[in-house]
Amino acid sequence: MAKLSRRGFFKQTSATAATFGILAALPTMAAATEAPAEVPAAEVSIAEFTEPLMAHVSDLASGEISLLMGTREIIFRDPQLVMRLLQATR
Amino acid sequence: MSSHREAPEISKDPVADNTDTYAFVSPDKPGTVTIIANYIPLEEPDGGPNFYEFGDDVLYEIHVDNDGDGVADVSYQFMFQTKTLNPDTFLYNTGTINSISSKKWNRPQFYSVTKVVKGQSSLLGSGLACPPCNIGPLSTPNYATLAQQAIHKIGDTSFFAGQRAEGFYVDLGAVFDLLDLRPFQNLHIDPRPAAPGVNGTQNLNVHTIAIQTKIEDLTKDGSHPTNPMDAKAVIGVWATASRQKGSMLNGQGGSSESGPWMQVSRLAEPLINEVIIPLGKKDSWNAQKPNGDKQFVKYYLHPEVQGLLPVLYPGVFPNLASYTKPRADLQAILLTGIPMGIIKGFQNYTGPTLADMIRLNVAIPPSSNPSILGILGGDLAGFPNGRRVFDDTVTIELRAIAGVTIPLVDPTYTPDAAAGEVSDFSPPAIPSGVTYLNSFPYLGTPYDGFDHPSM
Repeated sequence: MAKLSRRGFFKQTSATAATFGILAALPTMAAATEAPAEVPAAEVSIAEFTEPLMAHVSDLASGEISLLMGTREIIFRDPQLVMRLLQATR
Repeated sequence: MSSHREAPEISKDPVADNTDTYAFVSPDKPGTVTIIANYIPLEEPDGGPNFYEFGDDVLYEIHVDNDGDGVADVSYQFMFQTKTLNPDTFLYNTGTINSISSKKWNRPQFYSVTKVVKGQSSLLGSGLACPPCNIGPLSTPNYATLAQQAIHKIGDTSFFAGQRAEGFYVDLGAVFDLLDLRPFQNLHIDPRPAAPGVNGTQNLNVHTIAIQTKIEDLTKDGSHPTNPMDAKAVIGVWATASRQKGSMLNGQGGSSESGPWMQVSRLAEPLINEVIIPLGKKDSWNAQKPNGDKQFVKYYLHPEVQGLLPVLYPGVFPNLASYTKPRADLQAILLTGIPMGIIKGFQNYTGPTLADMIRLNVAIPPSSNPSILGILGGDLAGFPNGRRVFDDTVTIELRAIAGVTIPLVDPTYTPDAAAGEVSDFSPPAIPSGVTYLNSFPYLGTPYDGFDHPSM
């Protein structure tokens, strides 16, 4: 598995592309991560839109988010996003 | 059992439960090695209407290490895909299945094979058909023919994936009832008259993945060693099953999976996770790679069964009871292989890395007169030199733990008389009704459900 900083995470083309789809639908989260502006639309393949993407936060306090897509796992840290996700559950 | 339902977590996930792994120089094709990995324990032949099949969401793998580091150098990966031809019937088959392409078989299963060498993957084949389960004389009347159709030759390598008769035999009821071995229960702490052993896997089936490939495909330098003392003659073999890290139910009876493959089952030497590894470590053991097995060595050096035998059979194992040294013999046999100089004309040593692998010396030719007791029976082509389908691994390991192999490393030790006699069957023998084939895939035709109903 890859362990990345937040900046490194957004450089992961496919993972970022997958995130783009989600973030576009969730404006408040997009604002928090600033991801959409960095993603060229052409880099998002159709296959990536048809694959499920799972996000898992095992420890809220750590701010660490694990993204599962295809046979990859991308781990990044974004306490702000974790807090917004937590707020969304209330 | 060898590794059937041997750990808490995998016992709840039978399609990923690796039950036995075998590796041997093919007796009818001595230029090849056959490796068999079995999954799905204790299949009752009449277990319909949804008969047993491999998991479409499981990655099945056979691994070979040829440089002794406990890391796979050659792996074969198997992925399955199952179809439902007619979703509007409850039937597994809508008529007689006369060929594996029959449209009467409603749940055909196919697989792909990928070979990975030093991290480089190549797809060897896809859409390879499995045979159906053996339902009964009306549904699968010519089962041997169906199975034969499911042997796929790709290049020099043969593949088979499908149901087979269970070839591993053991008196399950006796072993798990405080090791009350029926032929010796008159000597047990709770004595009863001695009785013949009962095969707990009688008339049950498993699902088998088998490959038969040239020896040169598996050795370190691509050679076919002929000198048993040649280090390159020894390969290490194990099998695994993995699931993707994430799984989410969709509320419609299905699920989706994502993420890297996580190993949930592994198996090389028989009975290791079953009786050597303690309950609190079994699930973790299943997730480890062999090169990390050093963490478990204390359980080999002081096996729990060694302590139990003198207690459960009072006065029968006095020498074993007083033996307190670490079991270097078991470490050698099960974790490094046997170095040269211990057994005349034999070695299967892979170096100092402690790793659970079936170690096969491919320069030892198949025996013309095999002993089910393998090396203990004077047959260098048998367990623990690899493992053949008929080897009596329960008796061999029971006797080894009881002390018969201690003198290999400690000549001052005299084994108890009972150590050379103990077995779940007496004398050790393949139970009546257990059959094998003389050719690939060697495990017998699966028992059909009509003639072998659950009792």
